[in-house]
Amino acid sequence: MANIAAQRIKREFKEVIRSEEVAKCAIKLDLVDNNYTELRGEIAGPPDTAYEGGNFVLEIKVPETYPFNPPKVRFITKIWHPNISSVTGAICLDILKDQWAAAMTLRTVLLSLQALLSAAEPDDPQDAVVARQYKENVEMFRLTARHWTNAYAGGPNANPECDEKIKRLVDMGIEEHQARVALSSYNWDLERATEQLFS
Amino acid sequence: MAASQENESDMDFSDNDCYDYNNYYNDDDSDVEHVDPMKVDPEYFEYRCLSEEEVERLLNESVESLSNCLRISPTLAKVLLHGHHWNSNEVIRKYKDNPSQTIIWAKINPPSPQSIMTSNYYTCPVCVTPQHVEKFSHLPCGHKFCKDCWITHFEVQINQGISTSISCMAKDCVVLVPESFVLMHLQHKTNIREKYQHFVFQDYVKSHPELRFCPGPNCPIIVHSREIKAKKSICEQCKTAFCFRCGCDYHAPTDCQVIKKWLIKCADDSETANYISAHTKDCPKCHICIEKNGGCNHMQCYNCKHDFCWMCLGDWKSHGSEYYECSRYRENPNIAHESVHAQAREALTKYLHYYERWENHSKSLKLEEQTLEKLRDRINEKVMSGLGTWIDWQYLFASANLLAKCRYTLQYTYPFAYYMDAGPRKELFEYQQAQLEAEIENLSWKIERAETTDRGDLENQMDIAEKRRTTLLKDFLDV
Repeated sequence: MANIAAQRIKREFKEVIRSEEVAKCAIKLDLVDNNYTELRGEIAGPPDTAYEGGNFVLEIKVPETYPFNPPKVRFITKIWHPNISSVTGAICLDILKDQWAAAMTLRTVLLSLQALLSAAEPDDPQDAVVARQYKENVEMFRLTARHWTNAYAGGPNANPECDEKIKRLVDMGIEEHQARVALSSYNWDLERATEQLFS
Repeated sequence: MAASQENESDMDFSDNDCYDYNNYYNDDDSDVEHVDPMKVDPEYFEYRCLSEEEVERLLNESVESLSNCLRISPTLAKVLLHGHHWNSNEVIRKYKDNPSQTIIWAKINPPSPQSIMTSNYYTCPVCVTPQHVEKFSHLPCGHKFCKDCWITHFEVQINQGISTSISCMAKDCVVLVPESFVLMHLQHKTNIREKYQHFVFQDYVKSHPELRFCPGPNCPIIVHSREIKAKKSICEQCKTAFCFRCGCDYHAPTDCQVIKKWLIKCADDSETANYISAHTKDCPKCHICIEKNGGCNHMQCYNCKHDFCWMCLGDWKSHGSEYYECSRYRENPNIAHESVHAQAREALTKYLHYYERWENHSKSLKLEEQTLEKLRDRINEKVMSGLGTWIDWQYLFASANLLAKCRYTLQYTYPFAYYMDAGPRKELFEYQQAQLEAEIENLSWKIERAETTDRGDLENQMDIAEKRRTTLLKDFLDV
């Protein structure tokens, strides 16, 4: 690994550890290996959003050309968001692509991702299904995102109705996550979700 | 070096011909009335084929004249021109109106610059190494980074193919790095420097509406024309013919957007249209299997000698007259009242009608290239057996070239007709298209069977076909 990259990551690591956001438990950064090529990030769901109370884990891979090229980041925690793939966790965010600047840091990235959770951009979607729901039925979107936060990110807001519907499908022999995806994609319409799963 | 399209004859005059034909005709030019070439030939196009060096000179001239006019540095002039599609007048107007805003819009200056540092040591925000202030450099935005980081930044960007759009390394800073700043930092890195200059040049040419790279494989020629129109240019070096505006194959009378739409449609529907590509059809009279081996659509069954049209399989005799109907697609007038399925079927039939004719002419063009080979053999044979000299037979090559040109235009009339709205204009177009179609098939038939040096008949046919072609283009070529 190039010298600058390691030097930068070491420094940035300290920057995040020392920062006030850590004190508020909003962002966190851990080393995965000892040569600073892979890190584990964590961001708290922003207050007053569907993600509130959840903790979202991120995979951060540092390229050799860092910081001249952006880090490769994806969500490990499953999340329902127009700009994040509900399947792979891939993120559509300009600063992780062509708007990256060498003077940006991992702290900027984590804070930008947190900002993305508060303000989605459905016109530049990563997940077309989620984006369509966001645009057509924002209430349904919030309910679904809150349910996913509860199911995968330890969020406090359980929705008994959703859980009940998932249980119905699980009883039919469907895997839980698969059931959740189908129901989420069909606005929690049990009949249509069942139809899709068994067709 | 102005080139006219008409000069497509295969005959070569050697350069040291002692008689100068041009001068001979130019001498009494004074009493010849000057005519607008556009009126005679709708495809007339003035352009020049330039080398990279010539284009660089051309660009430098506009940079120099702008920098003199506005009394600004050549670096600034170049960035301004590149950002305004090399439109000097627009730059001058904007700059005289508001110089500082123009420079901010061009992303040369920041909306609000940073203060310059005073201490001797400073930590580079990219490599986090404290260094002496001398090791740093910055753009007008004032964001300072050490020179080594600038160099790495440039290397990474250039290796990704980015050149004129490299920006400052600071967060949220939009200021672009000018050419001179990059070159200054890369002065000891010859390879990457050359790569950068190559990309920059490509960006300049691509942003310049009067310039177009020749699309020929590995061809370095750049075509220049003051007339930014969808006209045919032919590269002097590799002989590739292309549309000046979009750089694709020349497509008159269809325009750039329509031909793009058509080609995408053809590519998408290639499976549906595949069955058309079969090379054989059955003779409509004796039903023997016939393979088309020449360009001409006027077929004669080798078995029963029946004359028929390859496209519609109708009797050829009913084709030759005014009522040439084979190229026209007859739409069902009641289609709006039919079911969705019937409409879909109708849409497919309509598309296939046009696609089939488009594809057929494209194939005919290729077959006629083979005909040219056969023509050469036939002429050799004739000359050997004492029927005329090689010179006597040259007219056949000229007619084959004309045939290719006419058929090419005819091929591109089909996408045009496909996207045309029904109405009197389309009727006129299809009438002219049918006329052209008929004359081209006559010409093709005659060339394939030319047995004498009696050129009168054939030249007459050539004249008619070319007249039909220019008439159609004059009425419908809108560039």
